[in-house]
Amino acid sequence: MERRKFLGMGAGMVAVLAAPSMLMATNYREKLPEVWKIKNDEKAKGEDMAGVNAAIKAIFGSDKVEEGKVKLKAPDIAENGAVVPVSFKAEGAKKIALMQTADPEAVVAIFDVPERGIPDYSVRIKMQQTGHVVVVAEIDGKLYKAEKVVKVTVGGCGG
Amino acid sequence: MRIKAKAKGDKTEVKVMMKHPMLSYREAKKKGKEANFIVYVTAKNEGAVVYEVSTSQFLSKNPYMKFYFKGGKKGEEVEITWVDLKGKTKTGKAKIK
Repeated sequence: MERRKFLGMGAGMVAVLAAPSMLMATNYREKLPEVWKIKNDEKAKGEDMAGVNAAIKAIFGSDKVEEGKVKLKAPDIAENGAVVPVSFKAEGAKKIALMQTADPEAVVAIFDVPERGIPDYSVRIKMQQTGHVVVVAEIDGKLYKAEKVVKVTVGGCGG
Repeated sequence: MRIKAKAKGDKTEVKVMMKHPMLSYREAKKKGKEANFIVYVTAKNEGAVVYEVSTSQFLSKNPYMKFYFKGGKKGEEVEITWVDLKGKTKTGKAKIK
């Protein structure tokens, strides 16, 4: 495994470096700082997939994505966009990216699945408006995607 | 940080609630504050990393996460650590029930 570099996060890095077992881990904020800045086209009202597609390419190095193998659960309608529960499973996944088209930037979270990890995750996300929630998982070197439209009645991104 | 860890057969279920305002750039601007949010979370069981996620401003305030990992026995510890954008870090622990 390549030696991870944890530079540029100031004081926090001192704390991280002090924990030797974390050196094997991947902090994508450090490794891929640019992916977090990939923008959604806000004029498209949650319908533009260009940001998500660019993020997939930047995170996984490929945009060849198949449907299937990823199970995604998200509400059809979210009354409160500030708290949208999202769950996903992708058996055998080594890496999973959670993205959406509703907020100013596309990427929400990137998971690395450790040896004892089980890719069955739940989080709560903010959605400023109606949009697509997209989960892409890397399984046996291939990319698989699941997608769902969540209708947001009250936006939750301070917008 | 509130952590609940429960052994379920050959795996362990973990639920965690982290206390953090998760101020996005837009929310922060509106409130006249600086953006700050958790950017990285790891969980360990008996020294091994069992969960790892890099996060963004689009996780809800006081982020909740649920995950599973292989193994983990009743009485063992689960240790969760987060780092935010400003470099502040916090660690919480819970015994597996």
